[in-house]
Amino acid sequence: MNAVLLASPEVRGFGADPWWLVLGKAVVIFVFLVLMTLFTILAERRVVARMQHRIGPNRVGPFGLLQSLADGIKLALKEDIIPKAAHKAVFVLAPILSTAPAFMAFAVIPFGPEVSVFGERTHLQLTDLPVAVLYILAVASVGIYGIVLAGWSSGSTYPLLGSLRSTAQLISYEVAMGLSFVGVFLYAGSMSTSEIVAAQGDYWYAVLLFPSFAIYVISMVGETNRAPFDLAEAEGELVGGFHTEYSSLKFALFFLAEYVNMVTVSALATTLFLGGWRAPWPLSLWEGANQDWWPVLWFTAKVLLFLFVFIWLRGTLPRLRYDQFMKLGWKVLIPVAIGWLLMVATVRALNTEYDFDARQVLIYGGIAAAVLIGLTFVWDFVAARSRNAEPPEVTAEWDPMAGGHPVPPLPGQQRPQLTVAGTTAGSTTQTEDHP
Amino acid sequence: MNTGLTLAAEFETPSVEYRLLAPMLIVFGVAVAGVLLEAFMPRPFRHETQLGLAVAGLLAAFASVVMLAGDYSVAASGSVAVDGPALFLQGAILLMAIPGVLATAERKVDVGGVFAPAGSSTPGSPAERLLVAEKITQTEVFPLLMFAIGGMLLFPASNDLLTMFVALEVLSLPLYLLCGLARRRRLLSQEASLKYFLLGAYSSAFFLYGVALLYGYAGTVRLSGIAEAVSSEAGNETLLLTGTALLTVGLLFKVGAAPFHSWTPDVYQGAPTPITGFMAACTKVAAFGALLRVLYVGVGGLAWEWEPVIWGIAILTMGVGSVLALTQTDIKRMLAYSSIAHAGFILTGLVGTDAVGADGELLGVSSVLFYLVTYGFSTIGAFAVVTLVRDAAGEATHLSQWAGLARRSPVIAVVFTFFLAAFAGIPLTSGFTAKFAVFSAAWAGDARVLVIIGVIMSAVAAFFYFRVIVLMFFSAPAPDGPSVVVPSPLTTVAIAIGAAVTLLLGVFPTYVLELAGLASQFVR
Amino acid sequence: MSSTATVLAAATDTGTGEAVTFWVLGPLAVLAALGMLASKKAVHSALLLALTMLSLAVLYLAQDAPFLGVVQVVVYTGAVMMLFLFVLMLVGVDSADSLVETLRGQRVAAVLGAVGFGALLVFALGDAVVTNEGLDQANSEGNVEGLANLIFARYVFAFEVTSALLITAAIGAMVLAHRERHLPKITQRDLSVQRFRGGQYPAPLPSPGVYARHNAVDTPALLPDGTPADASVSRVLAARGDVRSIPEQASTTAIERAAPRREDDGS
Repeated sequence: MNAVLLASPEVRGFGADPWWLVLGKAVVIFVFLVLMTLFTILAERRVVARMQHRIGPNRVGPFGLLQSLADGIKLALKEDIIPKAAHKAVFVLAPILSTAPAFMAFAVIPFGPEVSVFGERTHLQLTDLPVAVLYILAVASVGIYGIVLAGWSSGSTYPLLGSLRSTAQLISYEVAMGLSFVGVFLYAGSMSTSEIVAAQGDYWYAVLLFPSFAIYVISMVGETNRAPFDLAEAEGELVGGFHTEYSSLKFALFFLAEYVNMVTVSALATTLFLGGWRAPWPLSLWEGANQDWWPVLWFTAKVLLFLFVFIWLRGTLPRLRYDQFMKLGWKVLIPVAIGWLLMVATVRALNTEYDFDARQVLIYGGIAAAVLIGLTFVWDFVAARSRNAEPPEVTAEWDPMAGGHPVPPLPGQQRPQLTVAGTTAGSTTQTEDHP
Repeated sequence: MNTGLTLAAEFETPSVEYRLLAPMLIVFGVAVAGVLLEAFMPRPFRHETQLGLAVAGLLAAFASVVMLAGDYSVAASGSVAVDGPALFLQGAILLMAIPGVLATAERKVDVGGVFAPAGSSTPGSPAERLLVAEKITQTEVFPLLMFAIGGMLLFPASNDLLTMFVALEVLSLPLYLLCGLARRRRLLSQEASLKYFLLGAYSSAFFLYGVALLYGYAGTVRLSGIAEAVSSEAGNETLLLTGTALLTVGLLFKVGAAPFHSWTPDVYQGAPTPITGFMAACTKVAAFGALLRVLYVGVGGLAWEWEPVIWGIAILTMGVGSVLALTQTDIKRMLAYSSIAHAGFILTGLVGTDAVGADGELLGVSSVLFYLVTYGFSTIGAFAVVTLVRDAAGEATHLSQWAGLARRSPVIAVVFTFFLAAFAGIPLTSGFTAKFAVFSAAWAGDARVLVIIGVIMSAVAAFFYFRVIVLMFFSAPAPDGPSVVVPSPLTTVAIAIGAAVTLLLGVFPTYVLELAGLASQFVR
Repeated sequence: MSSTATVLAAATDTGTGEAVTFWVLGPLAVLAALGMLASKKAVHSALLLALTMLSLAVLYLAQDAPFLGVVQVVVYTGAVMMLFLFVLMLVGVDSADSLVETLRGQRVAAVLGAVGFGALLVFALGDAVVTNEGLDQANSEGNVEGLANLIFARYVFAFEVTSALLITAAIGAMVLAHRERHLPKITQRDLSVQRFRGGQYPAPLPSPGVYARHNAVDTPALLPDGTPADASVSRVLAARGDVRSIPEQASTTAIERAAPRREDDGS
């Protein structure tokens, strides 16, 4: 793959690395991702425990740091079961298909600027393409195959349903995700990750293109099948979802893929919206902050920030219902993304063609957006009023033992005045709904 | 930020000549407006509004075609040719589309119209019965028709193969859909739709492969660029020949020429009858227009190579159409085979490449243009008549049911006879003039054997047309035979337009023939 | 096969990396394509087709068309094939195509036709020398920018007309698959009201019996008085006569323990 990627038309400054450097970078990325996975799993358990006033794993190694490693070894030593009804070849292929693309996407993520490694000047990035961000989308869409095939090949109902759910989910949210990128492309004038980072020298796109950023962050949670969007493995409905029938190392691969994907989408968010490896504001005043190896630190910190948000969401939010989730994707995120994109394109056109002052455009656009948002609130309010204004259906007398079974009164039905010996019921029995 | 600015500076804004593209833009605009109407207009008003909008749009587009006449150039950065054949065929398509749309909008003959109340309901299900009882009709057919017409306008006018391919798909996709929405005999209709779609996609693949090879040959998909490469004999001959062959296969499929005709009878039979008429007329016009442009403009320098092939295909098509029509027992299938035979007759005219008329017009082109107009109007009329002969199960299309129709409804029998006579090429109908025009063009182009075969095949074809006439007039009517329904003005107008044009072009063909002659020069 | 020739010709003047890529992926693509035709299960066909598409995508990348290669994966492999798989998977794991020929000799004719057509193309185009001239010129401003200039300037009309195609497709999907609601929607509340109005037993039915030796849906539970609760077994099982009678031993002990009074009633 690398040879091929390097053979294609290069982005300035790429494709000139000696072979050992390419290999080294690849290995470092792999190790980085595996370590991040181990760390994230542990962090997730500790952080969620903290949020739930528990302690979390703290026995294996100092502060429980080796817990994930121990779990991994345990997982590897478990019995590897392939169900009888499973379709063997595809069953084995699926976890591989799920994991490999997760790693591949990281090839175009910039960790830092140009540095010197053993005398070679090189970018801290495996490679770059003129279409790097699209490449990440492409690789992610291959990863979906892993999930689909896992569900299908298991020869069992829950996995199949889970995999269908997750595919529908991933494809739907990929649309919103792709749309959120376009604003960035328009402003950066490029789809290559290193150039997008370079274009964020003055301000980060999270500020400039906040709606894009918000849409991306929401859809990135959907893309990774994480809570509150983890419908594909909703235990209450689908047991384990697509990986119900998997065990041992194959299951571990899915586990790995999920966490690597989390790291990947976080890294992408960092690159596209948070200035990539650039130092955040107060630090950026120090000139050396964006040179040499320091940026790797800022980059990792930003990625960890996103990972924390992932964990936070999981600790906080309940799972969405499937139809609500799809509605959010198709009827909210995509239209909003398209509308926002139109605005961005208009502003860009005004900027380039007529030299409009960006601030003027922002002010007018902001006023228009505020009015629109205000109108939606009014609309919502009016709609809610008209819904509530609907008079409750006046129904027949309440029969407390309908069909021989005690039932509460329906809305609009009056609880008959009960007279208990010695008291007048009037003061206590209002029209309460709950007995 | 800076990169974006520099890119914008480098980008050369394309020229879009809105005036020259007006016919297509109007039709597409009406189609989009129709879609919006579907979304926002209350159901009871939709049908009338959509119909009015569609007809108004077609008339406006025709007016803009007329205004463009004589003003020939290339528009939209060379994607669209606005020249004689393109404008003539666009005008013809728009005029034919008017009776086509009118017949499609008929709601009196079959209560609720010719289309299923909802394409998604299972045929015969309670849900469908409920919709039928509530007289719900699908009005989405109007925007679909307009999109198809838009594609048809672009198809013969496209000046590069890429645009031509997009136009091909734009005109085909709505037709695939419309074929599957018949109210009666839904399963047959859905099967027709699926067959048309699969074979259409298959032929598109041929077309596309041909385009790719021609691009490999000439390094461009512009027809003028390909013509240049042909005349300078640059590039690889094999690529050129294979590419041309595959491209022609794709186009001949749409034309319905043998051996790529096998979809025609099934689709013509299954589709809702007004749609069949529309498809038979307008698709044929558009596809022949594109074929003319590819063969004359693109690979005109290669005429020596493709003429014998068209020769063979013309003979085969006439033969298959005429002979197989003899064996048909269903009136729609018979008309389908007749349309195949007519495709063959039109192909004969195509062969006369070097036939030049008195005023320097290309006889090959002008005769084909004229034939397309005459055949199109007669076909729409004929299929509109077929919708009127009905029994309890819907249209009575079996030939035995048409026995003695003249006693039940002399008017309809006479009108249908007139259309059949036009198909057969009897003098005083447009069919005669048209056949005379193509045969004389082929004769002038030294394709005499082909003309003789064509005349023989016309005689064979005349036989099965007359068989129907005899059946209608001289057989005893079946006791439980079909009745002839009195239609609303919509279908009446459609039939009247078809009959009037058939008569006029039979008696006074000169004006349109001259127009076709004037319009026979391509822009290169 | 024609692409083979094209690629070969192009590969002669490019680096070894590209040649290696081609010789690995080319055969893979061809084999997968053939396998797609030969495999009996629709899902296998779909997977092999996806493999072909991926191989082609990487070949595009190797041939300096990164945008095309990536879009091929995003659109075809990622979206279109996935929707195909979606439908195929719902058909079931074990379903295979019916291989009965409706037209006799059709398969033989198809194979002959395909081989003939393939041979024609191979021999006709195999010796066609195609040079990759103009590639550097096309990519001079960058691959993406070059494409953008073509799509949005030279072929802008075709591009815009494609929107008609997309609208048609959307309407078509709605016309063929969308069921408009012509009756008012039955809400959860309506259902609830219906349930209580009907006067039937409104609560969930009792679950089947759980015994030391029998724990299955075909074993009825016992009512407080020791009689089997008919409602605890599915009606379907009852209709098929598959209801297991509570074993003699169990029932008598249960009856003795739970409801000694029943004997008095019975006698």
